[in-house]
Amino acid sequence: MTAIQQFLAEAPRFYTYWNMVFLGQAALNTILVSLIGCLIGYLIGFVVATLRLAAIMPVAPVRGLLITLVEAIRRIPFLVLLMCVFFGFQLSGANQSLFVIAVTAVALRMSALAAENIRAGYEAVHQRQWEAAAALNIPPIQALFRIILPQAWRIILPPSTIHTVSMIKETSLVSQIGFLELTFAARALNQRGFSALICFGTILVAYFVISWSFAQVGRRLERKLVHEARGVRREAGPR
Amino acid sequence: MTLQYGQVLRYLPDFLIGAAISLVIALVAFALGLLIGLVGASVMTYGPRMARWGVRAYVSFFTNTPQLVQIFFLFFALPEFGILLSPVQAVLIGMTLNAGAYLTEIQRAGFQSLPQAEIDAAETLGFTRVQTVRHVIAPHIIKALYPSLSNQYIIMTLGTSMAAIFGVEELTARALNANAISFRSIEIFSLTALIYIGLTIIASAILYTFGRLAFRVKARAF
Repeated sequence: MTAIQQFLAEAPRFYTYWNMVFLGQAALNTILVSLIGCLIGYLIGFVVATLRLAAIMPVAPVRGLLITLVEAIRRIPFLVLLMCVFFGFQLSGANQSLFVIAVTAVALRMSALAAENIRAGYEAVHQRQWEAAAALNIPPIQALFRIILPQAWRIILPPSTIHTVSMIKETSLVSQIGFLELTFAARALNQRGFSALICFGTILVAYFVISWSFAQVGRRLERKLVHEARGVRREAGPR
Repeated sequence: MTLQYGQVLRYLPDFLIGAAISLVIALVAFALGLLIGLVGASVMTYGPRMARWGVRAYVSFFTNTPQLVQIFFLFFALPEFGILLSPVQAVLIGMTLNAGAYLTEIQRAGFQSLPQAEIDAAETLGFTRVQTVRHVIAPHIIKALYPSLSNQYIIMTLGTSMAAIFGVEELTARALNANAISFRSIEIFSLTALIYIGLTIIASAILYTFGRLAFRVKARAF
């Protein structure tokens, strides 16, 4: 009972207009950083995965370098990557805003995840399709965009949803460099004297709403594009 | 400004101890999470409807909120109810609960991949229940689950870096400390990154070899 009593006692003092503006700004920043970072990340990941295709990539060392980079970024924790980016910007002397640093870190991590994911999608499409396209005299770039990608897309989409949602959650670590997002806002309010229960409870709900709605968008897209494309009726699809 | 790794290398033994602590945290949280997951997955597959809803709520709460915030909540909110947690306890409980949610989902998928026909076949052959579990169900589920479980373990090894924020002296915390003393940021964090890469590559190799020898699973971990 004490938890509910404490919550009710503190709620009017906590849910004031200015606190909500503060938390809203923080939530907006969380969404912006993850969205922009993920978009850039997917673009880079797409380019990297495409460059890794043997048919297009003639230079073996560059391919090796790309593979190494992707493997390396996947194998370090986001917090360490964030610190590398943060101090890298400092070292380069470019006085960038925290927003740019946060987006860069998210984009880097996302690009490595996406590159791996998109590569797996490419590989899942039957390799004979490339040969068939070549036999029909279709240039590789056109074959990629009109034959391979439309099929790979269905395989890539479900894990992409998972990666995007986990990236949204990992942006909570960006609070460590002092960027105002939900976790940072909660800590600031907590230090201003509000109980941890109400501060962290509120942002837990906020995070839940944000990542759950992203997951729903992904699930909708998946149902629409993947199952209908395969001719599976909605009711028959998984879940 | 030039990179000077010579000054940073003296932190290496310290970092390696931190890496060992990271590994232990991940291992403990993974083992406990596996137990939670086993219970959760059994309830989700065979349990009564109300219990299923409970498990589903637990899973969706922990998989849709950041692990960092969950640990913050444990670390700062529980003392308000008179439960004082040390940083290590808070991190371990938080990671275990979080891992439990993911491992519930993973193991549920494994349980559901078991065809009813196999159990029927075992029954027809006159297997006892223990024999069915020992010879039919367990090998099937282990084979289906091993790759995702080892992936989850490696993801958790990386996740231990969060413990640094709560002052647990693992690898990332030691890196942050060394950075605060020496200001050789890029050198320190690239060294830390290299240790994490080495750690996870070794772990993947061990998990792959173990899976191949013990369960004949040929799937690359991570």
